[in-house]
Amino acid sequence: MKKEEPVEQVPVPQAALAIEALESLGATHVVGLPDNGHAALYELLETHPSIATIPVTREGEAWAIASGLWVGGKRPVLAIQNCGLLESGDGLRGTTMRMRVPLLCFISYRGFDKMSANGIEPSLDVDPEELTREDLDSAALLLEPTLRVWGVPFYRYDSDDDAALVMEAWQQAEREERPVALLMTRGLRAGDVAPRPR
Amino acid sequence: MTTAELLEPLARLRTDEIVVTAMSTVRPWGRLSDHDLDFASADSAMGHTADLALGLALAQPDRRVVCLNGDGSMMMTLGTLATIIESGAKNLVLFVIDNGTYEITGNQKVPAAGVVDWAAMAAAAGFWRTYRFDDAAAYAMTIGEILAGEGPVFVQVKVERGNARPISRSQIEEARYLKTSMATWSRQMRATLMEDNS
Repeated sequence: MKKEEPVEQVPVPQAALAIEALESLGATHVVGLPDNGHAALYELLETHPSIATIPVTREGEAWAIASGLWVGGKRPVLAIQNCGLLESGDGLRGTTMRMRVPLLCFISYRGFDKMSANGIEPSLDVDPEELTREDLDSAALLLEPTLRVWGVPFYRYDSDDDAALVMEAWQQAEREERPVALLMTRGLRAGDVAPRPR
Repeated sequence: MTTAELLEPLARLRTDEIVVTAMSTVRPWGRLSDHDLDFASADSAMGHTADLALGLALAQPDRRVVCLNGDGSMMMTLGTLATIIESGAKNLVLFVIDNGTYEITGNQKVPAAGVVDWAAMAAAAGFWRTYRFDDAAAYAMTIGEILAGEGPVFVQVKVERGNARPISRSQIEEARYLKTSMATWSRQMRATLMEDNS
């Protein structure tokens, strides 16, 4: 599934393509707390005719709201930052996981660039010293290990080639009745795709 | 006012609303109501009842959603008051059962119990319909008005502390909606709502 060329040489993925993928799977809502990585996504969704955005004040709400939307018959998607994931743990556990809600989650990978620049791959064997380094973002170091331990499947979303992951991840979430995460390693830019006419 | 004096008038007037219960209202409501659209936010994520109810309200805009939240639970996610307002949901009726304690863990005091003015807090967050009751008769006379008209509605009800114990989900529980897992009940409720909408 993944290509080998360095991601730094590939344009930042376009939010417009991600949104087209969300349209294809019939997403009805994007729930989350806007962050730098998802800013372009939320901006484009402001005027979207069929996908509503539900901004929250803290990420734990997003899991509960998305779970309620799903019980109510809708098809929500989550979009939050990695530190928001860490903050929201029990919200994820006690609603989405406990209710076995099939939920596609975009998670911004804040600090991925610093981690990569230092040649570090996230590990379950967390180094306490690394968590304090000024040139590393601890949220990045903890994201994948946390998801792995919590049993949330995840895939890195590095470029426009990964837009296909949106449908694949959603189908996996539906099949396995659990959340599946796409880790936005470089954020999203609005994109060159023609804007939707109003 | 007792919990029974809070719930019995609501149960008499309830028709096809979704009712979400939490903490000290879970079992008593389950004794009064055996409805496919009751949802127990129990054995789940503490504090994430109002936001889950919001998700249901957003998914089912033509159906009223009544949330019976505890004061301790509401205190955990105060930001949800703002999230509700921002969402524009007009069909949510949010109760905060103000007994001043975390009843099911042994009645430890909720921070600032007796000082926090919940109805004022909700009004300050943007709820334009707020109610405050400590008298059972006044509440019973007003419940019809509370359930009618455009919301969101916020209702603070001062209730005597009880002796509710931790809630389980098992066959030994009396209430039907506690006899299955959250996952099973969620799926059943989703199927009911989608069938009703078709």
